[in-house]
Amino acid sequence: MLIELEHVTKVYNQGLANEVTALREVSLRIDDNSMVCLRGASGSGKSTLLSIIGCVFQPTSGRVAIAGKQLSRLPDRFLTLHRRRYIGFIFQNFNILPALSVEENIMLPLVPLGMRPMVMREKAAVLMERFGISHRRRFPAGQISGGELQRTAIARALVNDPPLILADEPTAHLDSRLSHEFMDFMADLKAAGKTIVITSHDALVTEHKAVDRVIDIRDGRIHVS
Amino acid sequence: MFLDSWSIALVICGLVVFFMMGFAARSAVRVLLYWDPDSDSGRQIKLENEIWLTSTLVECALGVQILSLTVFVLAADHFSGAIVGAMCATGSLLANDFGVPALTVKIGGVFLYGFWIVLHQLDIRSERYPLVRLKYIYLLTLLPLLVLDLSLGMMYIAGLEPDIITSCCAVVFGEAVGGGTNLFAGFSHFLSLLLLYGSTALLFILGGLLLAWRRIGLVVVFGGVWLWFFLLALVVITTLFSSYVYAMPFHKCPFCILKPEYYYIGFAIYGLLFTGAHLGMSVAVTEPLRQVVGLEEVTERFQRRATLWSLVLLALFTAVSSWHYLRYLLLGGQG
Amino acid sequence: MSVLARHLNILDHTLSSLWRRRLKNLSVLLVFAGVIFLIASFQLVTRALTETAEQALVAAPEITIQKMSAGRQVAVPLAYSEKLSGIFGIRRVVPRVWGYYFDEVSGANYTVLGLERDRMPASGQLDLVLDQGESPAPGRSGAALIGRSVQQGLERKGGSLLSLFRPDLSMVSFTVAGVFKEETDILTNDLIVLDIDDARDLFLVPEDVATDLCVYVANQREVPTIAKKIADALPDTRVVTRAQIRKTYQVVFGWRSGFASVCLLTALAAFVIFAWDKASGLSPEERREISILKLLGWETRDILAIRLWEGILVAGLAFVLGCTLAYIHVAFFGASLFRPVMVGWSVISPSLRLAPTVQLSQFLLIFCFSVLPYMAATVIPAWSCASVPAESALGGV
Repeated sequence: MLIELEHVTKVYNQGLANEVTALREVSLRIDDNSMVCLRGASGSGKSTLLSIIGCVFQPTSGRVAIAGKQLSRLPDRFLTLHRRRYIGFIFQNFNILPALSVEENIMLPLVPLGMRPMVMREKAAVLMERFGISHRRRFPAGQISGGELQRTAIARALVNDPPLILADEPTAHLDSRLSHEFMDFMADLKAAGKTIVITSHDALVTEHKAVDRVIDIRDGRIHVS
Repeated sequence: MFLDSWSIALVICGLVVFFMMGFAARSAVRVLLYWDPDSDSGRQIKLENEIWLTSTLVECALGVQILSLTVFVLAADHFSGAIVGAMCATGSLLANDFGVPALTVKIGGVFLYGFWIVLHQLDIRSERYPLVRLKYIYLLTLLPLLVLDLSLGMMYIAGLEPDIITSCCAVVFGEAVGGGTNLFAGFSHFLSLLLLYGSTALLFILGGLLLAWRRIGLVVVFGGVWLWFFLLALVVITTLFSSYVYAMPFHKCPFCILKPEYYYIGFAIYGLLFTGAHLGMSVAVTEPLRQVVGLEEVTERFQRRATLWSLVLLALFTAVSSWHYLRYLLLGGQG
Repeated sequence: MSVLARHLNILDHTLSSLWRRRLKNLSVLLVFAGVIFLIASFQLVTRALTETAEQALVAAPEITIQKMSAGRQVAVPLAYSEKLSGIFGIRRVVPRVWGYYFDEVSGANYTVLGLERDRMPASGQLDLVLDQGESPAPGRSGAALIGRSVQQGLERKGGSLLSLFRPDLSMVSFTVAGVFKEETDILTNDLIVLDIDDARDLFLVPEDVATDLCVYVANQREVPTIAKKIADALPDTRVVTRAQIRKTYQVVFGWRSGFASVCLLTALAAFVIFAWDKASGLSPEERREISILKLLGWETRDILAIRLWEGILVAGLAFVLGCTLAYIHVAFFGASLFRPVMVGWSVISPSLRLAPTVQLSQFLLIFCFSVLPYMAATVIPAWSCASVPAESALGGV
C-alpha cells in the first residue's frame, strides 16, 4: 500500500505552556510491498510518525494519503474505520489482554465488525495453526511464554487481513532469538505482499536483509544520511 | 397529588429526560462555539467524542420519553380511582386544563427526539459531518419543549384534586366525565372509516410511486399524508375502534386498550402507528438533506428504506387496529 | 455485517468482561437489588392492601348516611329513613349500630357491629366468610359471629361464652355462633357481629336512633343522583357513597406508598451516587484495555456499547432479583421486615396474609423508581470511559 506524507507537522498541546513539536515538515513516501524501518532515539518523533501513518491521530498540518485516500482532516471516527480495514498493529510489549484467552485476543479486531462468531473462530484458527499456537487456544494470554505472546500479537495484527502492518519497537523487550524469529515472520509477510513499517533502533532489525529502507529521524525531522 | 407513586414516577421520568437533554445541550453549546474540523487540537478530539455522548443521551432520552408517555397514560388511569367523577384515564386527563396539553407535548417530544436521531444517523455516515451545526441547533431548540413538557406535567399533577370523604357535610358530586365521548364527539362512523381507509390506500399508492420513481413534491405529500393519517387514526381509534375492543358501545376511550383486560393490544396498535408515522414523516423531513454534499446517497437510501418500512408498519397497523371491528362485522355482533 | 450481529458480538464480549470483574460488579448488583427489593416490597404491600380493601367493599352499601353535629358524628334518628321514602330509586334503608369495645382483660379494642340481617340484601353471603359455625337465624338474640383475634382472646380466658360489659358495668353474654375466615382478617380480625337489638342493648343505644343508615340502590348509575337528593333532603347529614370510600382508600394508600417512596428515594439517591462512583472509577488496567481495543479498531461507540450493555445486564439482573425477593417477602413473610417501620399502619394487623397480584404496571412503576435513575447515573461515566484516547496505549513520542 502506497503511503504519502507531505509537510506533515504534529504539535502536541498547541497553544499551551507544555507545547511540544514532535514532527516538523516531514515528507515521506513508502512504496507498496516494501519494508521500511524508522530509526531514532526515544523522543525523536518516530512513534508519532508511526501513529499518523497508523491513523491513530491526525497531523496538525500537512497531508497524509494512504492508498490514494486522503486521511488528513478526517474525523476521529473515520480514522478508526480506516484503521480497522487497512492496518494491523504490533505494539511494544504486544499489548495483549492477559485475562482473555489467546483465541479471544486474536479475535478482538473482528468483534466490532459484526462478523459471525463461527467465521471469527475460523479466521483465528487458521492463524493459530500458522504460528503454531493452536494448543494454547484456550489459555489466558497472561500464562503463555514470551515467544507465544509475540506470535499471538502477530496473529492478531493479521486477523482482519490488512495490507499494511505497523510495528512499534517490537523487539525492545525480546531476546535475540525471538527478535530474529520476529524479523523472519515479517520477511514472510513482506513476501506475501504486505507493506511493513517498523520503528526501532535495534541493529538486528535495521540491518535485516528484508528491510528495504531505513529512515533516520532526529528532532522530528527526517535525517538524510 | 404529588405524594403518589405514579406522580413521583412521572416526575422521575421528567427529570431524567431533562437531565440527559440538559447534558446534551451543554455539549451542543460547546460544539456550536468551538467546532473546527480542520484542527487536530485536544479540544476538537474531545468534541468529536462528545458527539457520541450527545447521541447516546438523546437516544436514551427518547427511550425514557416513550416510557414517560406510557407512565403518563397509566398514571392517569390510576388517578381516575381517586378523582371526582373520573372513570378512566380520559376522565383524569380532562380533570384539569393541563392533562391534554401535557399529553400532546409528550407525544410531540417522541417525534422530535426521533427526528434528531435520524439526522444524527445520516450525519455520521459522511466523513465531513455536514449536519453538525444543524443537528445541535435543532437540539437547542428542543429545550423549550423540554421545559414545557416538565412544567405541564407538574402542573397537571398539582392541579389534581383527590376526591376524599370530607369531614364537612357538603359532599362534592362531580358529573361523570369518564365516558370519553367528550374527547371527540360528533364524528359519524361511516365518514371516519371512509377517511381512514381512504388515507391508508392513498399512502400505499404514494409509497408505491415513491419507490418506483421519486419526485420531490411526492415526498412532501407522502410525509404530509402520514401526519394527517396519524391524527386521523388517533381520532378513529378513540371514537370507533376502541369501543369494539371493549365490546361496549358507549365506552370510547383511547387509553383503556392499553390495559391487561384487553391483552395490552393498545401497545401494539400505538407502537405500530407511532413508528410508522415517524418513519413516514422522516422521509419528508430528510428531503432537504439530499442537497447537502456528501449526504445525497445516504439520504436517498434512508428514504427508500423508511418508505418501505412505513408501508409495512401501516399494513400491520391496519390489520391489528381493525381486527376487533372486523370480527364484530363477521361474527354479526358477537365481538 | 449487520447492526444486530455487531451488538451480539459486543454483548458476548461484555459478558466475559463482566465475569472477569465479577467482584466489582457483584457489589453493585447486590446493593442495587437491595434498593429494588425495598421499593418493590412497598409497592406490592400497598397494592395488596388496596386490593383487599376493594374486595371488602363489594358488600358495602351503595350509600351510607351519618348524622353530623358540631362537626362530629352522632347517632342518626331512625325517623330520617322516612324522609327518604319520597326519593325514587332507593331499594331499602337499613339502620346499623356499631362502635368500639375496649376489652380490659386482653387490652384489645374490638369493633362491634349490630346488623339487621334479615333486611340486608347480602346477608346470606355472611356464611361464606365463616370458618366454622353458621350465622344465627335473623333476629335471634344472644348469638355472635367473631373474628379470629376475638376468638383467641376467648380461648385464653378459657370460656365458651363471650362476656361483655355494658357502660353501666352490668354483664351480657353471647354464645359464639361462628368464626370468620383468615382470608378476611383485614376486616374481620377484631370484629364482633351481633343482632342489631343486642348491639343496642350492649351500648345502651335508644330504640329510635342508629349509628348510621345504609341505603341500597337498585341501579348503580343512579347512585350519584340519589346521594345528591339525600344530601338535599337531610342537610345535617354526611352522605358517603361506596365509590367515594374506594377513592378515599386509594388516595390514602397512594399517599402512604408515595410517602414511603419519597423516603426510599434517599436510599435510591445514595445508590445512584454509589453507581456513578463505581462507573466512573477506571483502573489503570481498564484504561489500558480500552485504549488497546481502540487501537485495534473499536470505535468510541463500540466501547460505549460495552458499557451500556454492562449497565443493562446489571440493572436487569438486579431488577429480577429484587422483584422476586420482594414478592417472596410480601407474599410468604407478610412483609415482616417492614413491620417495625409500619407501626401506625393500623390496617396491618400482625397475622395479616397478603397476596399481591402481579401487574405489569406495577413493574413499570418499580422500573421508573430504580432502573431509570441508575441509567441516568451511568450514561455519562460510561461515555467518559469510552473516550479514553487510543494513543495512550502507545509508548513514547
